[in-house]
Amino acid sequence: MPPAMISSPATAAAVRTFPDAQVVVEAVSKVFQSERSLLSRLRSRPGDRYVALEGVDLAIEKNTFVSIIGPSGCGKSTLLNLIAGLDRPSSGQILVDGERIKGPGPDRGIIFQNYALMPWLTALANVEYAVETACPKLSHGQARERARQYLSMVGLERSMHRYPKQMSGGMKQRVAIARALSINPTILLMDEPFGALDALTRAYLQEEVLRIWENNRITVVLITHSIEEALLLSDKIVLMSRGPAARIADVIDLPPLRPRQRSVIDQHPDFLAIKIRLEEHLLNETRAVEERT
Amino acid sequence: MPENRLSGPLAVAVSCLSILLALLIWQILATQGVLGKNFPGSVKTLEELVWWLSDPFFNNGPNDLGIGTNLLISLRRVLIGYGLAVVVAVPLGLVMGISRIADASLNPFVQLLKPVSPLAWLPIGLFIFRDSELTGVFVIFISSIWPTLINTAFGVSSINPDFLRVSRSLGASQLRTIHKVVLPAVMPNILAGMRISMGTAWLVIVAAEMLLGSGIGYFIWNEWNNLSLPNIFVAIIVIGFAGLLLDQVFGWLQKRFDYQL
Repeated sequence: MPPAMISSPATAAAVRTFPDAQVVVEAVSKVFQSERSLLSRLRSRPGDRYVALEGVDLAIEKNTFVSIIGPSGCGKSTLLNLIAGLDRPSSGQILVDGERIKGPGPDRGIIFQNYALMPWLTALANVEYAVETACPKLSHGQARERARQYLSMVGLERSMHRYPKQMSGGMKQRVAIARALSINPTILLMDEPFGALDALTRAYLQEEVLRIWENNRITVVLITHSIEEALLLSDKIVLMSRGPAARIADVIDLPPLRPRQRSVIDQHPDFLAIKIRLEEHLLNETRAVEERT
Repeated sequence: MPENRLSGPLAVAVSCLSILLALLIWQILATQGVLGKNFPGSVKTLEELVWWLSDPFFNNGPNDLGIGTNLLISLRRVLIGYGLAVVVAVPLGLVMGISRIADASLNPFVQLLKPVSPLAWLPIGLFIFRDSELTGVFVIFISSIWPTLINTAFGVSSINPDFLRVSRSLGASQLRTIHKVVLPAVMPNILAGMRISMGTAWLVIVAAEMLLGSGIGYFIWNEWNNLSLPNIFVAIIVIGFAGLLLDQVFGWLQKRFDYQL
């Protein structure tokens, strides 16, 4: 993998190295510093440091579906937050479309694990808030129309006037998907979006996401700890090592089999081989984490 | 709230019965002289209550006002002082919740002033304003500001961070996030704080007015000087009902605007 060999490249070099890459993560580290008390600051004692990510290099091509998978607590979500611009890397840089990101932007839509719907707004109003915020030039009517259109796309045209507490987990996540896509992002970032759902709802929503993505292929970065999910959805699987100081262990390209059926994962020999490889890696990493303590 | 609470006509019947029983015990205790000589019974008190309520709004000079007139004077002071307190407390609470510097600089004052009895401010108010009306409003203001302020600040600091991240990820300005996300998210806390503040204000006004020369609190003080205990009980009942009504208004507002209920 070329990304792993880059030590301290300049922006221009990165763009030259990955001409097709839409997202370039370059030598990114993230250190969390616990807050120090006044006393320990006066004594200039260092606070507790936690190195979440260290030297992460990653290039994501335009309009591909990339899953990031790793043992729990490995900093997958941290990496996603950095790409989203919700958090800043301690060192290194992240480029989107060749530009260094300075913060969050409507070019990146985000889906959170816990839906993060505003409970005082209806499904429609939740999506509308996103459209009106990201596209202030639209009139109120146009924004509402767009919100309706995206809620219909996820099959919620009849429930759009419901409040989140009146909806099931699956419905709430569909609203969140509609909200993230309604701002027409070029990149969709998903942070374990199906983790809180029961197995059947999860399977249904995975296929919904697949269907929507087949119709409108944009770049997707999915954080997951489910091997099946990664195999079903992705073009490419990024394998992370355990934390602290997590890094990218491997990047696996999946056979370009689209549209992909769920049965393929269990029958296609290439998929089966990858599945075994992933299981082995995750099990080893998890064992190391569990036996450390 | 317990699931097995009585409700409907049965609850009303039981409540009525318990009130009647209390009035009966009161009457017996009073006529037996247990509570002192000439202590008014419930019958006497209810007679007086009917008399006061039959013409509540007369005005025969400052020491002889109808109970309704006095009540309106107190209500006006409370609503002005309380209204000002809310207008100050909500934005200040938002700022305290959002900015750590504001929180750190205002918190000492909140902690220090909150436990002070509002009546301690009376002389200060009288000295500054030289006017009983303004002093009343001032005391209500300073006593009812704290619950709303503290609740608002607490609400902001305990907002689900995901809401803020969503808003930020959409590129919302800080002002828009405060207006569209923070404010509605904190609404239940603001309303709960306002409800407690209103309760405090209504408690304080009675005590404050004993020293101010009009209003329902002064009515009590005046009737004490007349040694008319039945009238004091009348005032207590009226104050209780007014407080109950004010609280019910907030109960209704919370039902209407609290998305968690």
